[in-house]
Amino acid sequence: MSEEPNFSPNYRGMLMDNQTITIIKESAPHVRRKDNLVGMLLDVVIALLPVVVFSFIAWPLGATKNVLISVAVMELAELIFVLVTHPMPVDLQKHSLVERFKYGIASYRMSNFLAALVSALIFAMILPASTSWYALMIGAAAGITFGKLLFGGNGNNLFNPAAVGMVFAKVCFGGTMYYTAPFAGVTEVAVSPTYLAGGDYGILDLFIGNVPGTLGETCKIAILLGLAYLLIKRVADWKVVVAYIGTFAILTLAGGLTVTLPRGGNIPSYGEWVLSHLLAGGFLFGAVYMVTDPVTMPITTPSRVLYGMSAAIAAFFIRHFAALPEGVGYGILIANCLAPLFDYPKWSSEVWKKKDIILCIAIPVAALAIVIWTVFAGGFAL
Amino acid sequence: MIAKTTHIENTRNLLEILPTVDIGEPEDIFIALENARCAKADLTIKEGDHVKMYQVIGMRHGPFFDQPIHSTVSGTFLGFEKHLHRSGKMVNFIHIKNDFKEEEDETVVHERTPEEIAKLTREDFMQIAKECASVGLGGSSFPTYIKFDTKGREIKTILINGVECEPYITADKRMMLEKPEEVIEGIKLLQQAFGTKDARLCIKSKYKDIIAIYDEFLRAMPDSGIKVCPVGNFYPQGWEIAMIKSATGIEVASGHLPSEYGIVDFNVSTVVGLLQNVKYNKPVIERFVSVTGDAIKCPSNFSIRVGTPMKYILEKCGGYVHPERKKVFILGGPMMGASIPSDDCICTKTVTSIIVLDHDESKEENCIRCGSCVLSCPVHLRPVQIMNAVKAMDKDTIKLLEPLKCIECGLCTYSCTSKIQVTDYVRRAKLLAKL
Repeated sequence: MSEEPNFSPNYRGMLMDNQTITIIKESAPHVRRKDNLVGMLLDVVIALLPVVVFSFIAWPLGATKNVLISVAVMELAELIFVLVTHPMPVDLQKHSLVERFKYGIASYRMSNFLAALVSALIFAMILPASTSWYALMIGAAAGITFGKLLFGGNGNNLFNPAAVGMVFAKVCFGGTMYYTAPFAGVTEVAVSPTYLAGGDYGILDLFIGNVPGTLGETCKIAILLGLAYLLIKRVADWKVVVAYIGTFAILTLAGGLTVTLPRGGNIPSYGEWVLSHLLAGGFLFGAVYMVTDPVTMPITTPSRVLYGMSAAIAAFFIRHFAALPEGVGYGILIANCLAPLFDYPKWSSEVWKKKDIILCIAIPVAALAIVIWTVFAGGFAL
Repeated sequence: MIAKTTHIENTRNLLEILPTVDIGEPEDIFIALENARCAKADLTIKEGDHVKMYQVIGMRHGPFFDQPIHSTVSGTFLGFEKHLHRSGKMVNFIHIKNDFKEEEDETVVHERTPEEIAKLTREDFMQIAKECASVGLGGSSFPTYIKFDTKGREIKTILINGVECEPYITADKRMMLEKPEEVIEGIKLLQQAFGTKDARLCIKSKYKDIIAIYDEFLRAMPDSGIKVCPVGNFYPQGWEIAMIKSATGIEVASGHLPSEYGIVDFNVSTVVGLLQNVKYNKPVIERFVSVTGDAIKCPSNFSIRVGTPMKYILEKCGGYVHPERKKVFILGGPMMGASIPSDDCICTKTVTSIIVLDHDESKEENCIRCGSCVLSCPVHLRPVQIMNAVKAMDKDTIKLLEPLKCIECGLCTYSCTSKIQVTDYVRRAKLLAKL
């Protein structure tokens, strides 16, 4: 007979009979990673804070109005959506409105609140301080409804709600918007955001935000702080950011080379030229807060790189060859449309296949060719 | 968080340094009449019969093999009782009352001399493994003798799996630390059986202590051919195919057997069990089990007699912490182990660990397509797309996404930001793809 094992006294503390416990059967795995959706959305809100704080300091009145109205409208829309999509089951009893409300509100989660908050903050930041209250209300309502709720709410949306709202507001009420530089007080600057032409403002002005623009896009320091936080917390996929900024920089450089070398144009230096285009307008804001939205992007790595590239190419073409001064929002919406195409189960794959590599080279090369040809033969000024 | 998961958080890693203690013998032993691989069984004893240790008391009939049932104690056969098996099913168990006399059955047990062992061929090993009902003790319960039948293929490399990549489990680690001579002796038997010198013992590279012990042992026998092969610390490194890739660089294509590439692999506990089978003709009646989890009062490594009821083990551990909370009772690792609906179950040969966790109450959110499951999947599937296809009952897309490649490692659920049971959807896709 084997020896009685030598247990420490606390090994025979409690007897099993004194304990009644509930055991639940669940399927494997039984452990989960610590991070969750609420934490991820909170991280995005935290990353937006520097930009929001800067806008409050620079345009106290405009920022308050933009943020308050868009948050109120989007949160309300989200709440109504939750109530509408969780109706009380039909039974023979009569239920008062309060009961119905209580039943629906039980399905309202923290993630609903935070997702709408993120969309609202981004929407508020991509419109100028001069946006009228009705433009904000209609834009916010349209953005969250057509951009997200009609598709089925959180996680089901095809388009970035903030971008949809911005486009809606600009198309409907663009004439009433004008851009002011931070700390400019009440002096009203001209309607057209001519700062995109570059050269009017120095790199330093563009960097610290001493240019007219929308609330969030002027101060690049705040945006870069947000980017650092998103990348450290791994809320943003760095591959998309790199593909987006990289493609845009290459196209800008190619355009600059075509302007100076074959056509004898005048550009101060290539570095400054590329940098001023990257820093101008809402490009960096879009790269940090809008392209990185995981819901509207494809899921596999090669597709994400392609997605970033296509968003950058669309933004570049709209910015330089279209009648619109700014193409970041439209570019992101176009790339959103392409995301399901990149994700098509038959084509996409997580491992880099020959086809993915060819596409990732062919698409930017084709875009480059068009840029060079357009600038050289078409004579676009860039 | 959009990130690839390679490491599973382990809150109980102190268990690694606790030595294995013999838990002692319980008064009642239960031996499964049927198991996951064998649906039918015959018994050769009657109620009230006296049985001896190692005695063959019956025969399980599987789809393509028979497996003898051995008694693990000496005592009296009292009849049948229904208990939960590791597979989660209620199964008939043979109830044996222990008389603590430890009488061994001489007709089964006989010691082989080194000369006898040296003469054994692969067919003899196969026969011994079959008679002793040797199965994969890493948890697969795959009959070992089938591994000896390589269908004429030449085996070049023997891999010993000591990776144990699941968190919380430390049974194999303790086995390697506490029984190095037996592990090495067992490996030598395998070298003899397969006629190759190249044997590699795969150990996680972070286990410096084990690697040092084996280096020391193997220095004394320079031409043994056994090598210690430090492999990665990631999950699922213990998966056969990941281990073969790390240890030899060979990528085994899905749907092919490692023996087609000249490789055979054994779990380290199986090797030690096989040594007993060959040396004394004794079937495995004891195994190392880690009893751990957030809800266990005193986690410990135990050496447990096969057939011990779970209540006996849990009593020795001091019971549960926070009995008011809901619990999940797992046999096997927390990633791939089976959840059992009650703690009225029996420790069988293939239970590597008993883990009791507090039930995770977090709610499922909508998928936000963060892609963590796609990044984490070790076989490069796209679990989100499989989930969406299952929800839409789109069979063509399901087939296109090849869910049958899935090894059910559980990383997609583990890494899900929205706490969705993605692995469940993939399991359902596997069923649908087979239709």
